[in-house]
Amino acid sequence: MEKKLTIALAGNANVGKSVIFNYLTGLHQHIGNWPGKTVEKAEGTLYHEGYTIDVIDLPGIYSLSTFSIEELISREYIAKEKPDIVINVIDSTAPERNLFFTLQLLELGRPMIVALNQMDLAKKKGISINIKKLEKSLGIPVIPVIATQGEGVHDLIDESIKLVKKEYKKPKKIKYGKEVENEIQKLIKRLDNIDLDYPKRFLAIKLLEGDEEIKKMIEEVDPKIIKIAEKHAKKIECIHGHFRSTIIACERYKIANDIVRGCVVFGAPKVSLSDKLHELTVHKIWGYPIMIFLVLSLFFVVFNVGNFFSENLLNVFMNLESVFEEYFGNEIASKLAFGVFEGLVAGITIVIPYILPFYIVLGLLEDSGYLSRIAFLTDNLMHKMGLHGKAFIPMILGYGCNVPACLGCRIMETQRERLIAIFVTTLIPCAAVTTIILGLVGRYVGIGWVFLLYVINLMIVFILGRLAFKILPGEPTGLIMEMHSYRMPHLNTVLKQAWFRIKDFIYIAFPLIIICSFLIKVLEVADLLRFLENLMMPITVDWLGLPPSSGIALIFGIPRKELTLIILAARSGTTNFAEIFTPIQMIIFSLVTMLYIPCIATVAALIKEIGWKKALFITIFEIFFAIAVGGLAFRLS
Amino acid sequence: MKNLISLLELRKGERGVIVSIKGGRGVIQRLSDMGLTPGTEVSITNSVSFGPVEISVRGSKLAIGRGIAMKILVERK
Repeated sequence: MEKKLTIALAGNANVGKSVIFNYLTGLHQHIGNWPGKTVEKAEGTLYHEGYTIDVIDLPGIYSLSTFSIEELISREYIAKEKPDIVINVIDSTAPERNLFFTLQLLELGRPMIVALNQMDLAKKKGISINIKKLEKSLGIPVIPVIATQGEGVHDLIDESIKLVKKEYKKPKKIKYGKEVENEIQKLIKRLDNIDLDYPKRFLAIKLLEGDEEIKKMIEEVDPKIIKIAEKHAKKIECIHGHFRSTIIACERYKIANDIVRGCVVFGAPKVSLSDKLHELTVHKIWGYPIMIFLVLSLFFVVFNVGNFFSENLLNVFMNLESVFEEYFGNEIASKLAFGVFEGLVAGITIVIPYILPFYIVLGLLEDSGYLSRIAFLTDNLMHKMGLHGKAFIPMILGYGCNVPACLGCRIMETQRERLIAIFVTTLIPCAAVTTIILGLVGRYVGIGWVFLLYVINLMIVFILGRLAFKILPGEPTGLIMEMHSYRMPHLNTVLKQAWFRIKDFIYIAFPLIIICSFLIKVLEVADLLRFLENLMMPITVDWLGLPPSSGIALIFGIPRKELTLIILAARSGTTNFAEIFTPIQMIIFSLVTMLYIPCIATVAALIKEIGWKKALFITIFEIFFAIAVGGLAFRLS
Repeated sequence: MKNLISLLELRKGERGVIVSIKGGRGVIQRLSDMGLTPGTEVSITNSVSFGPVEISVRGSKLAIGRGIAMKILVERK
């Protein structure tokens, strides 16, 4: 019989979980979403000693409360799916905060192993940890690991198999302070008849904390217990004089602190290169020019590399096009097939040259730790549009391509922040839109007007961002972010992650791009373009004051914005746009193009990130908004 | 008598002990999860004018936005 094993990796953010995950699963992995949620789920498989081992990389979190959806997903997964082993990855350089999370994981009652990661960095910081003592305090195996070098990673698997083979005995309970522990014990007795997926001790503690989700669950079974829990919680609130969840957190931190005192020795830390770099890059004056220089040069490089590949790929496909025509002729069916082919080309020439490199850059920035420094420096600015520092990079990515920008908004913690950030990035003019603006306004009207358009766009971004911030329900949160030490990014992990993430995106984006391109081809073949042009005239001509041919151009811009100008030229039979547009029309046309709809690939990214309903809403909103703004500009001119 | 000030009033290099935190449930929960509980000692390691502060707490460095830092009350040490 096949022997199966499920291992879940859990731990704080930036502790090297994904490096361990990649080391274990290599190319046998899949990055998708948790069912029905927009939180990333990374799964992989490895084979070891006759075992088929499924590894799940849970999201990086600091607690098992309900602050973020990631925390909820993690605890539900561990309680309901009951993985055979939970490996808790710990950052050895910050043992206390990491153990705070370990204590909570232990309360979920699954067999556990601690992976003490980044032992090399801890050593540099003068931190030494007594492994035997730590094992004794926690009652579970502790394995020292240096994931970036692969050291100790396989010991984790060996230990897991060992743990599964022998009969599982529960580690001793880690007790809270007397007053709190008393209330926990009393509550546990009340939970005798409750049969939920979670261990009773976990439920009792969460009830004392006032956890809304757990309260809801218990209320369905026995509402009396909620009242009793409320009484107990009030009692400890009276004794300690703090909020109930704060008391529990205090208690946990006290235990973590006691463990650390017993097992960890802190030597005098040496000032390392990473510390000096940190000082310099968050300096209140030097930090900014360094940031601007680094970000601009990164973008310049990525963009040029992207352009190079995109053009060459496009050339290859152009040659294929002529071959295509030779073989299949100009029949209607082959024209339609060609529409599908063009969609595929559009997909490939966007995804590979632009989205992938931008995504890799985002990964490198994040993994090295520079992203959190950027967030630190830009927090103030981003607050003005209802966001905080972490949203800066996705927004900047948006100027290159909206797709990686949208996907990059995952770094925002709460759903609310993510939604605002995503919404704002779709309003940013990407490189293709910039080409249009430069090709029209820049060339025929003047560079000052281009500048003005960007300023107007930024103003719109600020206003709409603020508006979304005001309207969206939920508690607004500011910046609370860990600034881990600088480190060499683990290239292998970054590349693999970028690739597997893009793969998941491709499944959504390609069909959409192809369908869209096919539909436009159908319109063309059926000779409906003229009809459509007339249909759009009340908007294009009457409201926006544009020539009729602009309608079709805007439609062709949906699968690929670059096509807008090409189509315009083709249908007007000239590349001198001054013959088609007056200067004012150029400005209005650019304004509308800037705002009217994120291209179909971005819509796909929206669907992936926030679900089709919200994606549809944003898309429709932006169409109406662009038309409104364009019309207003026309009337003002 | 305790002399309470907000985290923002501490200068770079100064230390303080957290006495209480004002704000919504979510923010308080998040801060205590990250190690900012009453009684904890923090030190300011960096701050940007009008921007967030960087603090050292329980062996790790955190960046705290200005609005939140304002609501963390400490006693200077």
